[in-house]
Amino acid sequence: MKKYILLLLTTTFSFVLFGQDVEKEVDKPVRSPFESGYLIDNQTTVIPVEGTLEFAIQHKFGTMDNGFSDLFGIYSPGANIRLGLNYVPIHNLQIGVGATKKNMYTDLSAKWTIFEQTRENTIPVAVALYGSMAIDGRNKSVFGSEKVVDSKGPAEEEDVAFNDRLAYFSQLIVGRKFTHWLSLQAAVSFTHYNMVGWDYNHDMVGLHLNGRVKFSPQGSFMFNYDHPLKIKNISEQSNWNTHPEPNVSCGVEFSTSTHAFQIYVGSADGIIPQDIMMYNQNDWLDNGLAIGMTITRLWNF
Amino acid sequence: MKKSKFIFLTYPLAAVFAALILMAFAGSQDKKCGPEWDVPAKYKTMKNPHADDASLERVGKMLYSKHCKSCHGAIGLGDGSKAASLGVAMHSFAEDKFQAQSDGVIYYQSFIGRDEMPNFEKKIIDDEDRWALVNYLRTLKK
Repeated sequence: MKKYILLLLTTTFSFVLFGQDVEKEVDKPVRSPFESGYLIDNQTTVIPVEGTLEFAIQHKFGTMDNGFSDLFGIYSPGANIRLGLNYVPIHNLQIGVGATKKNMYTDLSAKWTIFEQTRENTIPVAVALYGSMAIDGRNKSVFGSEKVVDSKGPAEEEDVAFNDRLAYFSQLIVGRKFTHWLSLQAAVSFTHYNMVGWDYNHDMVGLHLNGRVKFSPQGSFMFNYDHPLKIKNISEQSNWNTHPEPNVSCGVEFSTSTHAFQIYVGSADGIIPQDIMMYNQNDWLDNGLAIGMTITRLWNF
Repeated sequence: MKKSKFIFLTYPLAAVFAALILMAFAGSQDKKCGPEWDVPAKYKTMKNPHADDASLERVGKMLYSKHCKSCHGAIGLGDGSKAASLGVAMHSFAEDKFQAQSDGVIYYQSFIGRDEMPNFEKKIIDDEDRWALVNYLRTLKK
């Protein structure tokens, strides 16, 4: 037995030594697969350098369906805005906080880029995890006495508690920079609301596809598609009447040393991902598109 | 309408404002370049490990557009859109005086910086990328 252990130790040790020799040739991460951590209203696998503070301004106007009468949604009252601050305390980990007009959401988020794609394909894709928790901050009176707990016995009305205001979003993002001008990402997400209307589901699984096509050193076309899946097994409803519409958007991005400026048209009126995945009822094929902007500013410390 | 008790300040303030406007005409509009760079010896003798690496051409050009163009201008003449708001003038990258400097000195000026020239060490992290940018500045020679 001892002989086997000795043999195992020596072989492992030699592998470790061999491994160290190989590691001298470091395969570096690819150069900026995206210019910013934001892509329209989604996240990219990119996290700025450690010690960076990022200020994000995200704005969506009302839908463009009224045309000139409300200047394609710019005069519309249905606008939404989010202001966010993100910080990178350690390499490839970002934490953030934000406030959104719609539903008076306050959100806390974290993003961890587990792997970065490398130049020699030692790691062929970038992988990131993103999580966000939002608190619906509206006054108690907005919810009224609508909370009904469906127990086995007679339905009982209850007050809205802090827990009921929470909504979660978690996402696994896989991205690849194919050429210096093309980067694509696919992602799967899970959204959970602690409390929803009686005709909604608490849980939603979504698929995401987005990317950018660079057309100049500072300019790119961008697109994004978020699809909430109809999964009968996790649905609490007998029909899909309240099932959200996909979020479809495309636009352009211009970036500088410290800014990324994105202007786009998209269908979701929500800005935080859990809201988009649960409540978007704007159909992009049926007058549901609105103009929006995402602007980021970086400071290095 | 009730008169404000500060009404007596109207004429003195108007006179100060007029004087400020007149003084603005008296000042020189010509901005000077900063003093000579004090470059540490380490950088003066620093070798460019990627000199003549043609594969980095696009990288250098991309980085220049993103990080430098807004002040230094599209072809490095020091006439970018932000140049007017700076306190000092910039040397043109096309000038012989700039190009006569060693790669290490240009590296120091570009990434360590001073005063209005920001430090770019946290913006352009990879050393290879920094040399790609130095190589690109060489192509802006007249």
